[in-house]
Amino acid sequence: MAAGYSLVGWNGFKRAYDGVMLAGLAVFFAAHLGAGWMSAPAGQQPSEIQMLIRASGAAAFSLLTIILCLGPLARLTPRALPLVYNRRHLGVACFLVALLHGGLVVLWYHGFSEMNAFVSLLVSNPRYDSFGGFPFESLGVAALLILFLMAATSHDFWNTVLGPRFWKGLHMGVYAAYGLLVAHVMLGAAQGEAGFAAAALAGVSALLVSGLHIAAGQREAARDRAAAAEAEGWLDAGPAQEIPDGRAVILTPPEGERIAVFREGAKIYAVANACRHQGGPLGEGRILDGCIVCPWHGYQYRPEDGCSPPPFTEKVATFRTRIREGRVLVHRLAQPPGTELAPTLIPEVVS
Amino acid sequence: MAQEPFFVGWQEGPPQISRRQLLAAGAGLVAGSGALGAGLGAVSPAPGPGVWDQGKKVAVTGTIYPEPYLHLLTEDLGYGLRPVFLVGPGKDRIHVRPALTFTGAAVTGTLIERGEHAMMAVEGVYPDPAPGRVRAGPEKDLGDAVLTGEILDAKCWFGAMRPGHGKTHKACAALCARGGLPLAFAETGRCANGKAALLLLDERGRAFGPQIIPFVADAVMIRGRIFEVAGLRQVRVALEDVVRL
Repeated sequence: MAAGYSLVGWNGFKRAYDGVMLAGLAVFFAAHLGAGWMSAPAGQQPSEIQMLIRASGAAAFSLLTIILCLGPLARLTPRALPLVYNRRHLGVACFLVALLHGGLVVLWYHGFSEMNAFVSLLVSNPRYDSFGGFPFESLGVAALLILFLMAATSHDFWNTVLGPRFWKGLHMGVYAAYGLLVAHVMLGAAQGEAGFAAAALAGVSALLVSGLHIAAGQREAARDRAAAAEAEGWLDAGPAQEIPDGRAVILTPPEGERIAVFREGAKIYAVANACRHQGGPLGEGRILDGCIVCPWHGYQYRPEDGCSPPPFTEKVATFRTRIREGRVLVHRLAQPPGTELAPTLIPEVVS
Repeated sequence: MAQEPFFVGWQEGPPQISRRQLLAAGAGLVAGSGALGAGLGAVSPAPGPGVWDQGKKVAVTGTIYPEPYLHLLTEDLGYGLRPVFLVGPGKDRIHVRPALTFTGAAVTGTLIERGEHAMMAVEGVYPDPAPGRVRAGPEKDLGDAVLTGEILDAKCWFGAMRPGHGKTHKACAALCARGGLPLAFAETGRCANGKAALLLLDERGRAFGPQIIPFVADAVMIRGRIFEVAGLRQVRVALEDVVRL
């Protein structure tokens, strides 16, 4: 949260998370290089650099696939939420592995010549008008630039400086990068002798990513279709007693953003559902120690005014609530972020 | 309900979510990474039998000819009379003083070999103290042929790169062709595991200029005439008879 910044706020979980990530990468590289070496006939092994180029390319692509699967997985099952928490570490690692791949390619395939390696990268294959002969390297360069921008702005400092909306938009560029990389593989390695394996990796990965996004999207669309009934500006959130203590139900107004309606004991609060940090669903969070906690990265907000506790400064909109005939009603008009509103008390619980 | 595990990543102390679940996920991810890496590594194609031992310096004697590509005609390598193409350590041609051509010379460097094909990354060229001019002898005309395959830069395919063919190698092959290194032609299926390729020349038996560069590393069909010179087969083809498939 945006009170002060350190490079990484390490804790036990982050160390374990990064440890698993590094172990996974190390095992992937070792297995790829070892299997590549042992499967070739004696004396016909690929050069070490070219083996590293293959392994780093496959590792970066696989890692990006995992990164893109985590978001929809977390929408489909809360069990995946811990994996989202440090997803940016995966993103930075993915960029570094992709940079290793690109650097080795430039050195190996475009170096050792009088022509500048970066000029060679752009002019060595001029067949931009061909589909099958397209210079797939340029697609990889474009993807690497996007990954660089995302890695360079991954810290929360940039989220605050750029603003959550712009930052989120910038980081949605990961889908463009992924599309470019699928094309990079399909128009490059998939057309070589390892074509089937490369095409299978790219194809299955793309199907997995798109399938999970479609499944998560259908679930969200169903929630949007179940828009709350509205009467004179008041939205029906259902019986008060059916809101679990410390948790929320999420309302979808006929227009506008979703609203999270929390119950804490006998008190009812309503706040905007989207976290100011990365748009996480606050209504899928909990009230812990008197604060709403976002399930994605643990950002906190006081339920009565939507403000993060000092020294943090994030604010979300609040909504007026009332109870009629045991049902919670929420007024659709958002109050300015940080507006304090008294909670509505549930009579049965109070008595 | 509020007692259900809820994960807050920044909290110190015991995690509120199952440690066993996280351990299982971590172990599964690491094991899955290994399985995926091994699978992808195992299906990577072998590059073929080309070798460039850069630690093994050799000296070869013979006669240097500048055309169609700079080469040393020698009998030193054990296959009878053979041309050894002379190149630099990188992707550009080298030049030899005219006084050292068409006469006996000793060349030092490292050999790049694939089957009976040989190339040398040259470190030094010296007059042979016991010169004896080596001649190629008459060329054999083996007739017309229509072939499908790939135009290769010979240095990489001989063993400088492993693998040194295919689309992922196209940029490198184009750079080598632009640098004036010898070009070869390998029939489809023999790029990776074959030991023999044809030296690619224009219809007059000269090295191609940069106009051939767009075709390197692409699948092509060529119609040309095969010749054998000093034990090495050549295919001579007009540019308009190179058709991309």
